[in-house]
Amino acid sequence: MKSLYVFTEKSICRLSVLSGTRPYCDTMNEFAIVTKDLTKSYKDVVALENLNLSVRQGEIFGLLGHNGAGKTTTVNLLTTLLVPTSGTVEIEGVDSSKSAKDIRKLIGYLPENVQLYNNMTTMENLRFFANLSGLKKPEARIKEVLDYLNFNSHYNKRIGTFSKGMRQRVGIAQAILHNPSVLFLDEPTSGLDPEGVRQLRDVIIRLNADLGVTIFMNTHLLSEVTKTCSSIGILKGGKLAYQNSMNSTLAEFPDQDSLEDIYLSIETAD
Amino acid sequence: MNKIFSVARMEILDIRRSKLMLSLLGFFLIAAIVSVVVASIDFGVKADAYKTYTDALAASGITNPATAPQLFPLHLMRAAIEYLEILGALFAIILGYAAIAKEKQRGTLSLLFTRPIGNFTLVLGKLGALALVWLAFVSIVVLATMLTAVIAGHAQLSATDVGRLLLTILGAWIYLLVWTAVAVSIASTSKKLTTALIVSIVLWLLVVLVIPQVGDTMDPDNQVPGGLFKSLQIAKPDETAVLANFTGYNSARDALEISSVTKHFERYTFAFLGIKDQYNQQPIGTVWAGVFINALALWLFAIGTLVISLFTTKPKTLLRTSK
Repeated sequence: MKSLYVFTEKSICRLSVLSGTRPYCDTMNEFAIVTKDLTKSYKDVVALENLNLSVRQGEIFGLLGHNGAGKTTTVNLLTTLLVPTSGTVEIEGVDSSKSAKDIRKLIGYLPENVQLYNNMTTMENLRFFANLSGLKKPEARIKEVLDYLNFNSHYNKRIGTFSKGMRQRVGIAQAILHNPSVLFLDEPTSGLDPEGVRQLRDVIIRLNADLGVTIFMNTHLLSEVTKTCSSIGILKGGKLAYQNSMNSTLAEFPDQDSLEDIYLSIETAD
Repeated sequence: MNKIFSVARMEILDIRRSKLMLSLLGFFLIAAIVSVVVASIDFGVKADAYKTYTDALAASGITNPATAPQLFPLHLMRAAIEYLEILGALFAIILGYAAIAKEKQRGTLSLLFTRPIGNFTLVLGKLGALALVWLAFVSIVVLATMLTAVIAGHAQLSATDVGRLLLTILGAWIYLLVWTAVAVSIASTSKKLTTALIVSIVLWLLVVLVIPQVGDTMDPDNQVPGGLFKSLQIAKPDETAVLANFTGYNSARDALEISSVTKHFERYTFAFLGIKDQYNQQPIGTVWAGVFINALALWLFAIGTLVISLFTTKPKTLLRTSK
């Protein structure tokens, strides 16, 4: 499945081959995500400190870090679930402090351990989230997205009967229903079996390639980052310790055998 | 507006598919119907006893027996109203609590609040759905109990009775909305859901059971079965004169009672159904004048709790308390 991109002087329009969706036009920004001195504190605890991060359009960005490094706080700030203590977040040039609602129109979000409405069917769940995203009569779009994710045979089954991997697919479906330009995935492979991890990885890569969606993901699985991401950032104690493209990162550390070694050398450095 | 409807539709669908909720509401309906059947049988027993009594008097040559027991159809609903007052409030708490708790437990709040929805969309949708559920439920309960009264109790309803029933439905609906809104607010603002449930139940115990009971116990006329003044054969004017010496005490008792929304609901419904003697068979206008203050209090409780629930069920509060 491919998307056709139309470039004009001031905008880039993505004409998705998924029918029934309007052409998606963005003001042409080099970066899909930009944070400036982004800080989040809880009373005396600083969870995230002066984060200056920029993710280019169409990238798959992996945010790495130990538990408690501030990865989930970062995603929550970027998705407007949290309000920053100071600093700014811009998604596609829209400032979250000025219009969180506008940012929510631009993003899709898959939380860690996605939970949906178990006693509802796939269709009922997706219709609900589509309506909340402002899609009217979304049935055709839902079928199309499920078809895209090879999940249409589970259209009328209740979520409660699904495996973790199947739920994750519905989670992805709800996140892309409204044709977002940036997709946030919080530990998307957490709890999945190897087959589920592989399937999800394929979906992420396809989404990025076919629809041109910028993807921002938190993960612990460095092997997945190597296979999926085009750039990475490493958080350490609430601060951004490193950010670069995957290729440049591998070139920058020629004496390290793997991303794992690179990650650990950055993590342990003073 | 469409987004509020979507939330409401999802909530109603969720309740429809919840076996626990349907069992609770079904149990209540059956209990209410059984109460009317029992009340009808009880009246039948009294009528039979009266007939035996009058036959015995007639056989003795006495022709002026005591007044025959009279069937007031709406009185058969007394137990059903008391169930609404006590169990209905409890069920309203459970439904209101569940509406918020299940979102927190499932972890769906983050999915909801990364959608372009307003601050009040979720709570308005949830409250709207629960309001519809309660309106349907109260209407079904009242209709079913009245049909039972007509069939089992051979009661005949007048047009005025239908009007009284509609006003009873309205009062019961508002009363249940109050408890729903209270539970929604508590569940939204509590970090631990078990705490929310415990606080809600303690509040229910206080407002529904303890305060009205304490108020009743403090009533001087309730100190002796059948009424203190009646047993002492004190006439009404003298009773008023005696009570005039206890205005402070009575004010304290009144203040306690009017703090309970349940007491207002009880006074309102008992008046319209004629269960309270002074309003029995009185025109609706007369009853309305007598319970206007209780109706107003019910509305004020409803508006107050709904406004509180709106402002306590915002994304910021829900996300903060769902960690």
